[in-house]
Parts: sequence; structure tokens; C-alpha cells
Amino acid sequence: MSTFLQILFSSLETGSVYALASLGIIIIFQTSRMQNFAQGSVGMLNAFVATFFLINTGASPYLAALVGMLSAFVTGVLVDFVIMRNAKHVGAIGKEIITFGLIMFFLGIAPMIFGTSPLSFPRFIQDGTYQIMGASVTYNAVLNIVVGLSLMTVLFLFLQKTKWGLAVRVTASSEKTAQLMGVPTKLITMGAWAVAASLGALSALMLAPAITVNVSMMDSVQISALVACVLGGFQTFYGPVIGAYIIGLSKNLLSFYVSSTWGEALMYLLILIFIIFRPNGLIGKKKIKKV
Amino acid sequence: MRKFPKERREIDGKKQGGSDVNGIEKKEKGQKVIEKKPPYKAYLLFGLFLILLPTVQKMGLIGSATITVLGTVIFYAIVGIGMNVLLGYSGLISLGTAGFMGMGAYLSAYLTADLNLPFLLSVIVSVGIPLIIGLVIGLISLRLAGYYLAIATLAVSEIFRQVFIEWDAVTNGFSGKNASYPKLFGVIQFDRQLTFIFMVVVLIGLMIFTYNFIHSRTGRALLTMRGSEAAAQAMGINLLRYKLTAFGIATAYAAIGGVLYVHFIRFAYPSGWNLMLSLQILAVIVIGGMQTIEGPILGSFVVFGVPELILKQLPVIGNVDGLAYVFTGVLIVVVIMFYPSGMIYLGNDIKKFWKKGRKHGKEQLPASE
Repeated sequence: MSTFLQILFSSLETGSVYALASLGIIIIFQTSRMQNFAQGSVGMLNAFVATFFLINTGASPYLAALVGMLSAFVTGVLVDFVIMRNAKHVGAIGKEIITFGLIMFFLGIAPMIFGTSPLSFPRFIQDGTYQIMGASVTYNAVLNIVVGLSLMTVLFLFLQKTKWGLAVRVTASSEKTAQLMGVPTKLITMGAWAVAASLGALSALMLAPAITVNVSMMDSVQISALVACVLGGFQTFYGPVIGAYIIGLSKNLLSFYVSSTWGEALMYLLILIFIIFRPNGLIGKKKIKKV
Repeated sequence: MRKFPKERREIDGKKQGGSDVNGIEKKEKGQKVIEKKPPYKAYLLFGLFLILLPTVQKMGLIGSATITVLGTVIFYAIVGIGMNVLLGYSGLISLGTAGFMGMGAYLSAYLTADLNLPFLLSVIVSVGIPLIIGLVIGLISLRLAGYYLAIATLAVSEIFRQVFIEWDAVTNGFSGKNASYPKLFGVIQFDRQLTFIFMVVVLIGLMIFTYNFIHSRTGRALLTMRGSEAAAQAMGINLLRYKLTAFGIATAYAAIGGVLYVHFIRFAYPSGWNLMLSLQILAVIVIGGMQTIEGPILGSFVVFGVPELILKQLPVIGNVDGLAYVFTGVLIVVVIMFYPSGMIYLGNDIKKFWKKGRKHGKEQLPASE
């Protein structure tokens, strides 16, 4: 039981990382109808920014994380303003390849500015653990879980309860209609890129203490987040988040109880079988195509 | 899948503007089709030009590394051509290319180095097994559409990557797998130059095959399927058969690319077969031009050749770590923003040169700088 609890808590922590990243991907998908493959790279670059700030000023990790998220916000705005806004005529796959170009750009620029050696980012809370029924959870893990969940709750409340959230949902369902209704879709899209980038940076910084801050830190997160979107379904904002937590949990469970080497591969196999039976994801509605 | 607004298409060698995918397809029977000779001559001339390159290198006019880079451009172009049949002509997205390529590479390395099978037999096996798995994914593609299919193939590729890392007996794990230059019929031992020429022959052969395939009944069926699956079904096109065909071709070409990779580079490493590589292959097609045979070659040159041959040779860019990466990224973004339908349509001049059957290798360089 205590092992299971231990696994559950660590899954919640990794699940939060995946969930934040996949939420970024789904926000961009809903507003621009494209996959953002650069979600992880943006997070990586701004994790470098945050770590660099922390090392050079000696600020607290909280402040550094805030700086990283702000710089990610700016990165997102710039990406939209310079590139995506001017790529309206490009098809969906073309746009996805543009995000791949961005990956290359970030991969090149990060070591140029911050050096090639991996940097270490400290935990938000250095030490201290809770003991719950034989399982030990660090304060830091609890903080990550709480921050992740509360941030997502705030975002969903924003989407459901506010006027701007409504604007985002209208843009997601039909951009042309939204424009006719007077919704500033350009601003909405820009905001989506900015928020998604910030979420990516936060997920990178949550992951950073466990692994170092390096150029390939977000590769597996990027893939897990994409798979989470498929598992949860692309139609809703909350589907991918649920998918992400399921992935975090099943990855750990399979790795621990079945096989430490093949756990991840087995999980992908199970997800494949699952989406063959539910081709629109866990919370997906079938779209009726008009011919 | 969405239609590309500024898309051009090629019907029986005749390029047409306009974006109406289905309209052209349906009218095609009734149109007066200008019988144009297939561009075999141009392909063969292009192949001859490539075959002469190692000799030129022996004369000392181009560096030895250039040949290696051009070799990588060739096998990635092969993978791109296969992917183009899937994406450009059938409208199915796959992000699992890297997995199939790695599979072909590891299988061929294992069969020739560890089991001492003859090269040709091992090629048949190393392409056959990915082909069968590709057909299974074709079956999956009947259930999944668009993004779901793309990410599902990505998951398949991730499973493969895990296998490459963990199955030490075949793949040698993290230490990487060595292979040798091909040996035909057990007597003819290739060196680097002959391997390069062999790759060129395979490339030209596949180009001609793909051209014929696309301009056959099957190719037209694939194009119709791309336009609208429902309409294609209404016209009596068997979706299952054609989806399987498209996936089979794409995975077989990817596996061929992997086989050539491992016998030309003579080394395979497990972490290379990742999402990045699959995206690079997509970039090859989108940059070169969808629905063209020549596009992926140009795209492959831009994505794999230009950074190595041009960017890293420039005085400032080449010296700073990562700057070549940055420029590659910028290049990809700029090309797609300004040539969304692909660089193959860069201008009529190049096309005119092309039609004259000139070697286009020279004309590419100013375009990509």
C-alpha cells in the first residue's frame, strides 16, 4: 500500500508536468488548429533563462520561475507576432513544420547564450517531507501538484466564466464566426501562444530539479504531452489534462509492477489499443463530416 | 486534413494552378490530357550527374565530407519520396517515419553483420518486416483520422525506439551497431564510392517507379482519397486497399532509406531515431513541394545538405556552436512562409532549366542561400 501511494504521488507530480505541457498544446490547437511541436523547446529555452537569472542574481527559485514564465510569455508573443500571424496562408502541416523550424532555432540558440553545459535548478522548497501512511512526499512535490492543479483550475474557470474565456472558446469553435461577432481573434491567438509558452516554461522548471536544465530535457515531455492530447481527445480543453495524469500514473505503475525496461513501451501499446477502440480519445465527440 | 490554398498539382506532367482538389480529379477523364513524355531522361541525367560526383571528388575538386553529406541527402530523399506518397498524394500523416527507418537500419545491420546473410536477402527481409508493420498501421488508419493518426504513429515509433535501446542482442543498445559496406552476391565488395553510386541507382529507380505509380490508376485513386474520403468511397474506391498501399509504400521506402543509411554511414545509434527525425522528413516534403517527385530531393538538400555543406563552411556561422542550427531553423521557417507550396515552384526559370533536362544541382544553390 505504501509503495502504491508513493507511486501515486510521484505520478501526480510527473502528471502535472505533462498536464501543463499538454494544456499548452491544446490551447494552441484550439485557437490555431495546429500541433505545436515546439512546446517543449520553448519551455527548455525559458528554463535556461530562469536558471541563468537565478545563478547570476542569487534570487529565490520562485522569482526565477516567475522571470522564466514572463520571458516565455514574451517568447510566445514574439513567435505569434513575427511568424504565425504572417503564416495565415500556410496549411496546417506547413505550420507544424514552422514549429519544427522553431525547435531547431531554440536548440541552436540556447547553448549559444547559456553555454553547452547543463545547469541545475534547485527545488522550490529545499527539504522537508510529509509521511502519509508509510509513503513519504516532499513538500516540493506537494507544491508542484498544488500549483499545477490550481493553475489549471484557474485557467478552466477563466475559459468558462469570463468574457475573454468565452472569446477563446468562440475562436476555438469557429474563427470566422468569431471575427464576425467582433472577437479580436488575432489577440486571442497571440494570448494563446503566450499562455502556452508560459505553461511550457513552468512545466520545464518543475521537471528541472529532477534532471538538469539541458537542451534535450523536454523531449520526452513533448511526446508524452502529444500522446496525452490524443488520449484525452482534441475536442475539449480538459481532455488532454486528464490524459496527461493517466499517462503519468500508468507509466509509473507499469514501470514498477510490470517491467522497468518495457513499461513505457507497453504503455504506448495500451494507448494505441485504446484509441483504436475510441478513435476520438477519452472525451471526444465524433465530428460529422459534411461532404 | 485541410487543403492547402495555394496548392498546385501535377496531372500527367502538366502543372495546374488552382486549389480545387476534387474538381480537377473528377474532370480529369474528360480533359484533353496533353500526352507528355515522362521525365525519365531528366531523372537519368540527374542520376548520371550524381554518379560522376565521387570521381570528381577523387580528382580533388570537392571534399570527401561533401560526398558523405550528399549520401545522407540521397537516402533521406528516398524516405521523403515515400512519405510524399503518403502525405502529399494520400493525405495521411505519419510521425513514425524515424521508427521504420531505424528498423530497416538495425535489421539490415544485424542480418549482414551477425547472421552473415547475403546483402540482397537481408535487404528483402529488412524492408519486408517494416512493410508488414506498415500495413498493420494502414489498418489502424481506417479507424483514426488526422492528428490522432499522426500521434498514434508517433507512439509506434516510440515503441520501436524503446526496442532499439533495450534489445541488446540485435541492436547492441546504447553502444550503437556497426555495419559494413554492402557486398553483392558474396563477391563484389563495395567501397564508399560504389555504395554512393548504388544509392544513386536506387534513388533514380525509385523515382521512376514512383512516377509511374502516381500516374497510374492507383495514384489517381490516392489523390481522390486525399480530396475526400467519402467522395472516393462513393466513386467505388476501396479505401482499405489504397490506405494499405500508401502506408506500405511509405514504410518500405523508409526502411530502404534506413538500410542505405546503415550501409553508407556504417553505424546506427538508438537515440537518433526520434521525433526530430520524423519532423525533419516532414520538413523535407513541405519545403521541397508536396505532390512532386523531385520536391523531396530538393527538400532533403535544404534540410540535410545546406546546414552541413554551406552553413558550417561559412566563416562566422560555422565556428560558433549552434549557429548552424539557428540558421537551419530560420531557413525552414522562411522557406515555408514564402513558398508554402514548396521550393520546387521557386520560379519558372528553374522549371525551364528542368524541362531542358539540365542538371539542376547547380541551380539549387543560389535558391537555398
